[in-house]
Amino acid sequence: MLKRIVVGISDMKISARASEVLVTHSLGSCLGLAAWDAGARVGGLIHCLLPKATGPDVKNPNMYVNVGVPAMIRKMLSKGCTKEGLVFRAAGCARMLGIQNQFDTGSQNLAMLEALFAKNGVKLAAKDVGGSIPRTMYLCMDTGQVTITSQGKEWLL
Amino acid sequence: MSVREEIIAQAMNLPQMPAPVVRVMNYLSRPDADLNELAKLIEYDPGLTVNVLRMANSSFFGGGVQVSTVRDALFRLGTRRVVQLVIASGVAPNARSAVVGYGLEEGELLRQAIAVGVAAELLAAELDLRAPDHTFTSGLLCNIGKKVLGGFLEVDAGPILAMAAREHVPFEQAEREVLGIDHAELGAELLSRWSLPPSIVECVRWHLDPCSAPGSDQALDLVHVGFVLATMAGIGQGLDGLNYMVCQKSFERLNVTPLAMARTMEKLLEALAEIEEILSSV
Repeated sequence: MLKRIVVGISDMKISARASEVLVTHSLGSCLGLAAWDAGARVGGLIHCLLPKATGPDVKNPNMYVNVGVPAMIRKMLSKGCTKEGLVFRAAGCARMLGIQNQFDTGSQNLAMLEALFAKNGVKLAAKDVGGSIPRTMYLCMDTGQVTITSQGKEWLL
Repeated sequence: MSVREEIIAQAMNLPQMPAPVVRVMNYLSRPDADLNELAKLIEYDPGLTVNVLRMANSSFFGGGVQVSTVRDALFRLGTRRVVQLVIASGVAPNARSAVVGYGLEEGELLRQAIAVGVAAELLAAELDLRAPDHTFTSGLLCNIGKKVLGGFLEVDAGPILAMAAREHVPFEQAEREVLGIDHAELGAELLSRWSLPPSIVECVRWHLDPCSAPGSDQALDLVHVGFVLATMAGIGQGLDGLNYMVCQKSFERLNVTPLAMARTMEKLLEALAEIEEILSSV
């Protein structure tokens, strides 16, 4: 039986234990980003609420895509992962019906991630984003497999 | 009996507000209500006493020097907060259990309820508005109809989800088409039977669709945007997810800016943890 390690909203967890599965529930407009290094067998999962910090005083970097994602990557590199070995999969970034662009946090979260990756020459291996469904995202430490569940259905990412 | 009538009948079987809550609410509705008398009334109930003290000492509701008597707590909180707290104490036990029909685990309905109330008030503060007195309570109560409707959805959520997806309609519209009533209307019906003030009942009735409300109410706009923020943040999400229509007019009437919205979401998570701890032990 795999042990579930829950990643809350504005939270990030890293694991190197094959017996664990990292899981984040309730991805609405938030971004869920899973990173896995098959060589190091280290995985990370972050659940970011907003694209970027609204002020200079950042209490919790995991709340923001622009500071949380780089912080997770740095931490994974310090655990033996390599930039080339890391594989990223994104989920979430959903939107409510009729929301205007300036208030569409989901699209902004995704745009921030894509800009960050483009700047650093990093590719997203897969994404399951948008729409108006809620998502739960799992990263299995045994295999590096990322699974999404939503509204009673389950699929591999 | 139509499905709609059956659902309304079932809603009326939900437990009434606890007696101490009703007593305090009735007393507060008197024009000559006096805080000293109210303090005595609350002190008869150990549960309410503990909650009032905890709330008065929390940073979201009160803060500052610790208070240790109900009387001091009431003078610090004021009647407005006391009404909110007393209603919250009555509703929390009903909202705590899982609502299988909506895919809400234990505690999630209450969590969403608190999040909407807190987000509405935080947003008002962020926009330099004084939130009308019934704002927090209306936010707290806005999804109470899910508690009853969840019983029906548990049996048959499929057609509602399928209709929402197939016809790209908001979740509550699909509820109406399939069940003859949506959870906002049902919640308002229930609160009306519980004799809650009409301002709260109306806010709950129209929180998903403020533009259709018969009158204008700033609390309604705050609750709607509070609901949008909590939903986007993924708090208390069930099968319905983000499948609700945003009322742009509410954003415009309140002059919500993207910055105010982001700041409210930032503060929401912090405040939620504190309030949740208090109300989840009620």
